[in-house]
Amino acid sequence: MKRINKIGHCLLAIALILLSINSVKAQQTTADSALLGRIAILEQQVADQKPGESHFMVAGLTTFGFVSSKTTFTAPGSMGQITRANSLGDADHYELSPMFLFRHGDNLLVEFEPSFDGTNIGVNWANISYFAAPGLVVHAGYFVVPFGIYSKKLAAGWIDKLAGDPAGLDLPGTDFGIGFSGGFPLGDMKWSYDVSLTNGLQLLPDGELQNAGIVDNNKGKMLSGRVSLLPFSNSSLEIGVSALHSNAGDAGSNFTSANVTMYGADINFVKTFSPFLVNIKGQYNKINVTPQTYTSPVDSSLFSYNNVTSSAFAQISVRPVGSDSFLKNFELAYRYSNYTTPAGSAWGQNFHENDFGLDYWLSWRTVLKFTYAQSRSLSTTSVTAGGTPGLTNINSLYLQFSVEF
Amino acid sequence: MKKIKTRTRGWIMIIGMIAVIALIFTSCAENEKIAAKSGAQLWAENCQRCHNTPSPSAFSHEQWKTVGLHMQTRAQLTDKERDKIIAFLQQ
Ligand code: HEC
Repeated sequence: MKRINKIGHCLLAIALILLSINSVKAQQTTADSALLGRIAILEQQVADQKPGESHFMVAGLTTFGFVSSKTTFTAPGSMGQITRANSLGDADHYELSPMFLFRHGDNLLVEFEPSFDGTNIGVNWANISYFAAPGLVVHAGYFVVPFGIYSKKLAAGWIDKLAGDPAGLDLPGTDFGIGFSGGFPLGDMKWSYDVSLTNGLQLLPDGELQNAGIVDNNKGKMLSGRVSLLPFSNSSLEIGVSALHSNAGDAGSNFTSANVTMYGADINFVKTFSPFLVNIKGQYNKINVTPQTYTSPVDSSLFSYNNVTSSAFAQISVRPVGSDSFLKNFELAYRYSNYTTPAGSAWGQNFHENDFGLDYWLSWRTVLKFTYAQSRSLSTTSVTAGGTPGLTNINSLYLQFSVEF
Repeated sequence: MKKIKTRTRGWIMIIGMIAVIALIFTSCAENEKIAAKSGAQLWAENCQRCHNTPSPSAFSHEQWKTVGLHMQTRAQLTDKERDKIIAFLQQ
């Protein structure tokens, strides 16, 4: 009886063990199939996210703000006339520009930046870059012509430390054509080039210049380029020189022989002198148009002037990046700019501007800028040319927000 | 005739320029000190030349590859600098 009991216990124990093994197995199978199901879903999700050879992203920027200004115009021999204005849009600087970047593999990049300026929708650039070989990027389409540093590298609202743009750096602007650029090591130093062949500039009846656009106004093309040297191994200093040549007269017009030559020099120095990050930037541009005879819009008489324009800016900014407190988000900036257009033309002036700025960086690409700008423009125009002589002083206060997204 | 001449002159100038660039390129080389620079160091030195330096977490792996090419067109980075900086930012 006792024995039977023992066997019974044994059998019971074995049955229990078998049962528990089975239930573990069953649990495991349920766990396995749940896991497999989850993995299958994840695999699907990864497959959906798999980048492939192409990549598309949207970046871009927006700048908006408020400007309050007081303009005093003093005509020769009379009292100054004051006009005050304030605008929430800051029409000169408002911008919303999404930028589309399409990358195909490792060698092709298409960039397209439409832009709304508060009134119109335009295009800042639309071009394709082919990374052909080490030190050779070929780009074609509509792009910022390589000349100096401001237009191509510093003009974006979230990059510029002051609310406005320095005057007189609009040319050579953005144009249609083809370009080549690249950078190379040179021992401890580095150098770079950026050249382009584009449709070029167009000389207007009053002697001013603008971009000819996609349909060229003559057979000649514009050759522009910049070469730079970074003499220190830490890339803190860059010195650049630029040159440009373009036929500018409309084919078949009185200006057929008109040529434009531009020269430029620029400097960029960025270095930390603990606890401050110091930023020095500057550029000088000179534009020469070969002598032409212009027709007066006032009395149709013929006249001529020395069509030479120069512009320059020098800027310094300091940011206490080494500080532990919120102070490290502040940056102080100052810029002097000068713009001298031809005396005796309809648009002759001698313009100076001082800009003082205090910026607050909300992130590396988001900034709130307070800028006080003070400008003085003495007209050097001639009345025969259609100009208005006088002195214009403008004081402006900007509160501007800009973000790269 | 004049038209052809101007055009030919333009092309000679461009080809000449490319030839000069190619020549300088072949004679250029980075020295050991430059070759030993890490991606992190190049990132710290180069990106601040124009704007504040973005941190690696700002963009994804693929986005950094695209931004890297884009910045090469703005900053004329050398190809080695670009590759090292992208690799660092992708970590
Ligand atoms: C020579 C000036 C310059 C340098 C140096 C530079 N950038 Fe930029 N960067 C720009 C400009 C200008 C823009 C604004 C977009 C434009 O104009 O195309 C920009 C935009 C960006 C953007 C926004 C997305 C995009 O692709 O436009 C990122 C991210 C960026 N830069 C990262 C970098 C990094 C990382 C470096 C260091 C390798 C760097 N930049 C160095 C000029 C520069």
